[in-house]
Amino acid sequence: MSTLVIGGSHLDTSWFLLLSAILFGLGAVGVLVRRNPLVILISIELMLNAANLALVTFSRQLQNLDGQLFALMSMTVAAAEAVVGLAILVDIFRVRDVEDVDDLSELRG
Amino acid sequence: MAIAVFFVAAALAVLGGIGVVTFRQPIRSVLSLVLVMLALSVLFLLLSAQFVFAVQIIVYAGAVMVLFLFVIALLGPARELARGRLRFQTWLSALFVLVLLGLMWSLFQGAQYRQPDKADMSFFGTVQSIAVGLFTTYLYPFELTSILLLVAAIGAIYLSRKQIDDL
Repeated sequence: MSTLVIGGSHLDTSWFLLLSAILFGLGAVGVLVRRNPLVILISIELMLNAANLALVTFSRQLQNLDGQLFALMSMTVAAAEAVVGLAILVDIFRVRDVEDVDDLSELRG
Repeated sequence: MAIAVFFVAAALAVLGGIGVVTFRQPIRSVLSLVLVMLALSVLFLLLSAQFVFAVQIIVYAGAVMVLFLFVIALLGPARELARGRLRFQTWLSALFVLVLLGLMWSLFQGAQYRQPDKADMSFFGTVQSIAVGLFTTYLYPFELTSILLLVAAIGAIYLSRKQIDDL
């Protein structure tokens, strides 16, 4: 067990990691359960954010800045992923309304 | 004080995460995600990551979420049907995620960290220290992200162009 001293109070590293795990789990549930492709993209963003929290936590625990740099890189990747994903979504919605990603299981339009 | 800030921000983040998954209308999910991101930015500040905090608010809660809102405004309010083709999918995914959480929790319990690097904490996470890392050790990955963003921009423009029929 290791504690972080922040502003004079002691916080456990594993609290941050547990919060990160919970948020990641919620995002995974969203991806698996929800049917609207837009909400699935939002849930993926939630999972990426949870991973960022874990990276920054480890960075603070080890007092090493690499974790924060990784978090910045993953933010870039998340932004690119959101842009391309939303563009694909708009392209699909132009052809037809999708209320269920399972409707897209056929390759022909 | 820091403990109270942590628990308030963590509770808001978890509530927002539950909102993302449970709200039926996508716009409410997006607004819940904004709540999660703001709560996480407070946690980044607690972890002395000032620059990541600023980027989280400006890029994520600002730019990316506005993009999502624009797309929702463009596509109109699509309500999600409650029916599912796989009846057990909800319960199976809940079970899967619970197992995943248990695994991660057991990993955190036994975690042994190496000795901290004894960094200068008055300088830790500031713009200067981040920039030194980005422009020395991680220069090539940093330059590669610009190519990644360029590719994403070109891909988005290509995908959202006007379709020319019967060419």
